[in-house]
Amino acid sequence: MSIVMKQVDKTYGEGPTAVRALREIDLDIPSGEFTVLLGPSGSGKTTALNLTGAIDDVTAGSLMVNGIDVTGLSTDEQIAYRRSEVGFIFQFFNLIPTLTASENVELVAELTGHNGGDRAREVLELVGLADRADHFPAQLSGGEQQRVAIARALAKEPPILLCDEPTGELDFETGRMILGLLRDLNRRNNQTVLLVTHNAAVGDMADRVLRLRSGMVVDDLRIESPVEAEALTW
Amino acid sequence: MSTLNRKLWRDIRRHRAQFIAVAVTVFLGVTMFVASYDSYLNLDASYQATFTEYRFANVTYVGGDVEALEDLVAGVDGVESVAVRTVADQPLQIGGVKMLGRVVGVPADLQAEVNQLKVLEGSYLATGESILVEEHMANHFDLSPGDSVDVLAGDDWISARVAGIVSSPEYIWPARNRQELITTPDNFGVIFATEETTRTLTATGPNELAVYFDGGAENDELLEQLAGLAAGTGATADYTRAEQASNAALAEDIKGFEEMAGFFPLLFLTAAGLASYVMISRLVHAQRPHIGAMLANGMTKRKVLRHYLGYGVVPGLIAAVPGAIAGALLARVITTFYTGLLSVPVTLIEFYPANAVGGILFGVGAAFLAALAPALVASRIRPAEAMRGETPTGGGRVSLLERVIPPLRRLPIRWRMPLRGIGRNPRRTIYTVVGVVLSLMLVLVSWGMIDTVDHLMNTQFVDIQQEDATVYFTGPVGDAEIEALGGIDGVEAVEPSLQVPVRLAAGADNYDTALVSLNAGTEMHRFLSSEGEWLELSSGLLVGKALGDLLDVEVGDSIEVQVGLLGASFSEEIAGFLDEPLGTLAYLSDERLTKIAGVDLPATSALIRYEEGLEGGDLRSAVTELPGVAAFNDSKAMFDMMQEFMLLFYAFVGVMLVFGGAMAFALIFNAMSVNIAERRREVATLLAVGTDRRTISRLITTENLIVAVMGIPIGLVAGYYLSSMAMATFSSDMFSFDLYVKPMTFVWASLAIVVVALVSQIPGLRAVRRISIPEIIKERAA
Repeated sequence: MSIVMKQVDKTYGEGPTAVRALREIDLDIPSGEFTVLLGPSGSGKTTALNLTGAIDDVTAGSLMVNGIDVTGLSTDEQIAYRRSEVGFIFQFFNLIPTLTASENVELVAELTGHNGGDRAREVLELVGLADRADHFPAQLSGGEQQRVAIARALAKEPPILLCDEPTGELDFETGRMILGLLRDLNRRNNQTVLLVTHNAAVGDMADRVLRLRSGMVVDDLRIESPVEAEALTW
Repeated sequence: MSTLNRKLWRDIRRHRAQFIAVAVTVFLGVTMFVASYDSYLNLDASYQATFTEYRFANVTYVGGDVEALEDLVAGVDGVESVAVRTVADQPLQIGGVKMLGRVVGVPADLQAEVNQLKVLEGSYLATGESILVEEHMANHFDLSPGDSVDVLAGDDWISARVAGIVSSPEYIWPARNRQELITTPDNFGVIFATEETTRTLTATGPNELAVYFDGGAENDELLEQLAGLAAGTGATADYTRAEQASNAALAEDIKGFEEMAGFFPLLFLTAAGLASYVMISRLVHAQRPHIGAMLANGMTKRKVLRHYLGYGVVPGLIAAVPGAIAGALLARVITTFYTGLLSVPVTLIEFYPANAVGGILFGVGAAFLAALAPALVASRIRPAEAMRGETPTGGGRVSLLERVIPPLRRLPIRWRMPLRGIGRNPRRTIYTVVGVVLSLMLVLVSWGMIDTVDHLMNTQFVDIQQEDATVYFTGPVGDAEIEALGGIDGVEAVEPSLQVPVRLAAGADNYDTALVSLNAGTEMHRFLSSEGEWLELSSGLLVGKALGDLLDVEVGDSIEVQVGLLGASFSEEIAGFLDEPLGTLAYLSDERLTKIAGVDLPATSALIRYEEGLEGGDLRSAVTELPGVAAFNDSKAMFDMMQEFMLLFYAFVGVMLVFGGAMAFALIFNAMSVNIAERRREVATLLAVGTDRRTISRLITTENLIVAVMGIPIGLVAGYYLSSMAMATFSSDMFSFDLYVKPMTFVWASLAIVVVALVSQIPGLRAVRRISIPEIIKERAA
């Protein structure tokens, strides 16, 4: 199993203002699966993603990722875990504006001991942006920026890609293209993809859709015949 | 309280560290302005009140027929009082200590019409009574009424009973003359005796006429009129109130307060303005969506403008009002301390509302101006654009350094990031650099003063003066007395010296000073030219460089040397200008002077050097016991005393350095806090992708340090020139303050800025450690 949550609980704050974002969640996501966490705002889907990426701490329960007990990691171990196990793709791209596309990727590649330049060229080519490598984020379109963000996540060859509303800031066509790219990477590299969205249509291209509401998994759907991203419509 | 005002207060509370930094800088600026300007006005008023109450002479004429001059001057319109008196430099002896004294004649039974005395202890002179002692000497020798002082009269020492201890407007600062502003109490003291006694003691007639104008007011036209009369009665010298040695020294001193009242507060308020601007700009940037929403909901642009101006004005007002109060209180302390230290007879302490209001206006004005630009930006935001939340993050570009030095592009990304960060917000980078420059200016001006004074003391007492002591004789002496000095055990070398008061004249300009005659090959005094070269005393006059401007003369020009005592004058060529820190003297070799005079000239003093390992105390009694010796002036004691004088100055400079550090901290802290705040999203992203916090801290620190370091060379150059200008304002014929900054001072000042920059990042870096990754990466605004 790639990602295993058992009775995972997450509460923000204390006392009367406490918010319980996740309520005793149980789920198993096998290696290589393309899973969509679907739900409205406040359903806990991003929280689940953040816990998986070890950028937030579990309040109760256990979370194992690729055999690593994420709940028991120290700060330094969390950093090492994020370097080796997961790659993040954010809704707002979060590229460093003062670095070129290539440098944004290099920065992450260097963290894992890769030759930054070579690796950056490799992954930018993979996402179809080799010719835009020397452009700064402000010189790129939204879709291109998101592709750089994907390249950045791929640079360290993580077994798991965590995508938080990766199409939320993109137009329809670009969004479909990014989803196609993610699906392609998932198939080609057998990378586990955990994608958070509130767009139900996106679920049609996944292997599995987990519906969340009020911090609980209310539906666990396996998609027998996922459609290609190009066929999606919303 | 309106909702907007509640928002304002909450925002201020939320960013309290940065607002406090701005407020502290405004507070310091306003405090310094009010304290220094109030002190200046208080001290000036105290001096003026003293001068009026004790009828300090507006002008004094020396030499010639002063009684005839009195008759002429007394009837002139605008002259309120005149006083003829006898003033003579006469050796004194107290408890075995021989010194150069000055005996000043005053009327018996009632105070003189001009230059009255304040009796501090005992009583004023009654007919037949002995003397009054000036308080600096009395304090040093612990003299009280009933004690006695020996005065040399002819060849005999006469014991004079002390009737009272007095202070005089002429000796608030006990200077012997403009060339000898610094004296030690062991070497110079003033006593007042009845005019009759003075004439008996000194065996001379009246030689000075002190003139007091109507109400003591300055009157240039009257001065010109009297100058003509004085010339007609053969006056050999004159000095106005402004030129009088003690008053000139005090005027130089309080000028420092006036200069400080302008320069330092300006620096602080500029710094406060910059810090405030950086902070409010960031606030407006971060609140663009909120501003958009406010405008979209019908809030007027004017209201938005007013609201964001509040971020400057409110902390400015909060800081400026207590700053003005603190300044006024501090001025009272400074004035009391200062007038107490100098024993100024009248101390006037007033509250100057205009200064307080001015200080508040300056403080609030600086904060207002700082807030104006960002507030205008806020009021002009287009709601639709702002509410989309797409806050411009600034386009990236290859840094200037990478463009200039292409190999830098091959540096690891973590090195290139700080380089790029510098150019990301050029305006803020410039303001941070300006902040560093201002801080360095303040530090260097303060530190430069210490270095300069230290250097000048060394130049005067180590490089120029080679003698260990100067021995003054009771009158002119010949070779026998000089040889007797050389015969004393422990005296390694002796050289005769002749010092006479002279007036140097060139065209219509003249300058009263002393002519010093030394051996042509003297080993007791070195002559440092204004070009920094060592000159020989061979032919011609070597004169202090201030004379160049005072007499409008150059090397090679001839000037007239009028020796009032002898009623003689001669013309001599200027061989060189000297860079001597203390005084503006004229030097001529004894060979040349003898040739001009046509006779062998006596000595009035001798310069001696001790054998190695000996000090002044070891030789003082043996030297002063010699007949004909009036005083023994140990150079090291003089040096030590000047160092003591400087302690107060060092304390002041120390305070300035602390203030400068606080200012630098406030400015750099704000710029760096904003810098770090703007990086939160990037930091969160870097953390999310697995970068450890130490690396991130290093990145931020490197970027901020590079910005700080960029300001250092500019700050050093600007600070140096500003210090040079500041020093020039203190330079006169009495003191030559040429700026000297030790090379290590530049190093220490730069290091201090680096340390301040490092320390000011600590709060921001701690915030980086507390960053919540999930919260920030979901934020839309950069």
